Amino acid sequence: MDQSGPTTRLSDAVRDLAAQVVSALRSGGHSPVGGAFPPSTGDDEITVAAVRVLGADTLLPDALSFRPADPAAVALVARAVRAFPPGASPAPTTAWSHWAMAGALRRLAPGSAEPGGSGEPGGATAEPDTAWLEYAPWPVLTHQLAVLAALAVPGCDSGIARVAAARPVDVARGFVRAVRRRDWLQAAGAGRWLTLLDGVPDTLGLGTGLEFVGLMGGTDPRVVLHLRAAGLLRTGVPV
Amino acid sequence: MSSIDPEVQDRTKLLDTEIESALNPIEVDGFYRDTRECAALALLGGGGKLLLAPPTPRPKKG
Repeated sequence: MDQSGPTTRLSDAVRDLAAQVVSALRSGGHSPVGGAFPPSTGDDEITVAAVRVLGADTLLPDALSFRPADPAAVALVARAVRAFPPGASPAPTTAWSHWAMAGALRRLAPGSAEPGGSGEPGGATAEPDTAWLEYAPWPVLTHQLAVLAALAVPGCDSGIARVAAARPVDVARGFVRAVRRRDWLQAAGAGRWLTLLDGVPDTLGLGTGLEFVGLMGGTDPRVVLHLRAAGLLRTGVPV
Repeated sequence: MSSIDPEVQDRTKLLDTEIESALNPIEVDGFYRDTRECAALALLGGGGKLLLAPPTPRPKKG
């Protein structure tokens, strides 16, 4: 009998899902993420919860390949958007990750958008607030951007992306801090943002820095996912 | 009258809490002076490819 608690099972499911996305990215997007679902949890509720946590990155292979989204992945993301909407007073990152998922559905699978209610997949268009992030100290800015790294995709305009674009040196500084703290997930997320920003100092050595993060943190599929996304963004994904 | 199994309801609440925690993680504690990391940084930094110190802080406004 499975005695593991939901925390462990959810964490494991998120890692499994991230590994599947990485696999799809490595195959050039020809291996649909949804094809392997449900993952090893065998628990439908946990699977949908994992999709909610990984967020819009569940559709990353489709977002970067600019081809019609995999229907199974779209269906899962739509279920997660419906099943776990933000509460009445959500934390900013919760609201933004939900907005990102709905936005990904709008861009990649317009047919999944249901007219009307803001709680429906693809229906929520109003951006959450960014005031909490605009004047945040650079370590906080970088941490929060890394949490919301799923928004760092070409063609995805958002208030978060505009805040990041206005502070490239602060994000670069935060990347270095994350590396020095050995926070590989934050470093990978920040590095992913930096690949999209103008004005990043050349002295940062971003390419080598990302390579180092992969060397040290490459056992975590969530880290690899961000690094793979950053690599694709740096080397020729059509924008 | 609700027909939802209380156990299922509790589990879903727990899952909601776990999702919220995962979406709003606190920053993990940093680890410094790791020999393996320092060695790798030295190798990469030796080629002038990786910045080992943060950029100089900008003067505060006002």
